[in-house]
Amino acid sequence: MSNNKLMRDAFIDEIYKSALKDKDVVFISADFGAVALDDFRENLPEQFIHAGISEQNMVDVGVGLALTGKKVFLYAMAPFITTRCYEQTKAVVSSMQLPITLIAVGVGLGYDHATLTHFTTEDIAIMRALNGIRILTPVDSDSALHIAKECINNPKFTYVRLERNPQPPLYGDKLPSYLDNGYVSVHPGRDIALVSSGYMTHKALKVREIFLEDGVDLGVIDVFRIKPIDQSSLPKLLSNYKAIVTIEEQMLDGGFGGAILETLADAEVCMPVKRIGISDEFKVVNGDREYLNKLYAIDVNSIVTKVKLLIEKIL
Amino acid sequence: MYKELISKSNWLRKSIFNMAMNQKSGHIPSCFSMVEILISLYYGGVAKVFKDNPDNIERDYVFISKGHAAMAQYPILADYGFFPKEELNKFTQPDGILGLYADNRIPGIEGISGSLGHGVGMGAGISLNAKINKKDNKAFVVVGDGECYEGSIWESAMFASHYKLDNLIVIVDVNHLCILGKTEDLLNQGDLGEKWESFGWHVERVNGHSYSSIMKGFDVIGNTAGKPLVLIADTVKGKGISFMEGISMWHNKIPNDEQIKQANKDLEINSIID
Repeated sequence: MSNNKLMRDAFIDEIYKSALKDKDVVFISADFGAVALDDFRENLPEQFIHAGISEQNMVDVGVGLALTGKKVFLYAMAPFITTRCYEQTKAVVSSMQLPITLIAVGVGLGYDHATLTHFTTEDIAIMRALNGIRILTPVDSDSALHIAKECINNPKFTYVRLERNPQPPLYGDKLPSYLDNGYVSVHPGRDIALVSSGYMTHKALKVREIFLEDGVDLGVIDVFRIKPIDQSSLPKLLSNYKAIVTIEEQMLDGGFGGAILETLADAEVCMPVKRIGISDEFKVVNGDREYLNKLYAIDVNSIVTKVKLLIEKIL
Repeated sequence: MYKELISKSNWLRKSIFNMAMNQKSGHIPSCFSMVEILISLYYGGVAKVFKDNPDNIERDYVFISKGHAAMAQYPILADYGFFPKEELNKFTQPDGILGLYADNRIPGIEGISGSLGHGVGMGAGISLNAKINKKDNKAFVVVGDGECYEGSIWESAMFASHYKLDNLIVIVDVNHLCILGKTEDLLNQGDLGEKWESFGWHVERVNGHSYSSIMKGFDVIGNTAGKPLVLIADTVKGKGISFMEGISMWHNKIPNDEQIKQANKDLEINSIID
């Protein structure tokens, strides 16, 4: 168990272990660090590559390495490994379906005080549009460790969304048993389910506790693999509820809620869905993540209010 | 001295022209400016390529980063026995493997192209891997001068010199034109050789239509004091077809019947002299 670890350290430690045994594992950073990376750099200098603050170069070089047999992990702050080099990821990695893992740190509003340039509130929308990508969002550092193992054991074009700050432990060592489906029904509930991924799953659990005090039993489902998303058992599970609420720290356009809606539509499940996320024209101000979540009405209290309105409407 | 290569020049230009005319599709002038560069690589003993075996692990990697001209590689790859020559007649067709741009479904094509500015980084990755594995593989990357507008080229140029990738060889096909006109008029690039040099590369300036000049440039491979090598090759876009030479509007234009006659006449005369 690695409860207090940062997700990035849990993830990189696992890659490091595998790199010690396999010289074809290479880790490329665009000038982004981690405590766990220090050992890697020190002990495996030929397997750690600094690409410069040059994300485009990092991806193209990673492609050259992957084409000649290396297992490539690319690492940078979330906004820069997604939008900054989207062209490279789309035109070259996706086009050739290379077994390259892109590791993003600080998705959503993780870099709260850094504001707009460091927000990554559209990565689900843009990355899930890429052909053949696998997108994984760990909910805690143990899950990050198991997702790293999965990336090593089952290498393919993958985008991993890590939190900047530690998250409460949730799954212990259970994640591998959920890997087939890519989601976890964290708490089965009645009538309404909260559906989320990663950081927002912790918020959903708090919302559930508040409703439980009033005897309302909300379901909580963590969809940690946003692509490929489960097309059969997930819509079936969701259809057991009267309505669902999707919660995300992303722009609603093309985001997580959109992915869930598409899954329901494709499975011909017709049901009320309330999406909670960031709307267009959101304001940029100084503040920590909790403050920003309140401002954008995606904090626990705002979610509670919205769920109450939904309950009044449909129950 | 280069008689055989000179006749290959003629063969490749005709093959490219026929492929393009069969399907009324292709970027002829961009191919024609780098014919001698390609022939040198594949038939001049510069790049290590193995007949009938595109996947030989000892091979060198040849990338056409200016992907709109990647079709120029196809007749060569067929000649090397990587796929049947009949494929050339099915260029861009659904039942063929050869696309307007190249991708690595095609035997002998090392990576996808079509979007500019990726080849130097991909070549750097390949060259770096060869260094890490202590192998002799080299990467040869042909980029356009217009392509050098892409910032990613310079990110990778800096990277390659830091990692001392003297097994990475870039050839800049300086044909002076992009789609809308002359680079000099549209957005002046200044002295490209000086730019590469300032990024830590060993620079050789060559006449891109003269085998003696190109070969002299490639001769320094392995003697660059650890620096990656760039050949700044001065070329003529459309070289070999009189009415296309140096005229930007021919970038992806297909000639009419009259013009095809003229082009075929031009292609009977080999304009390459040394």
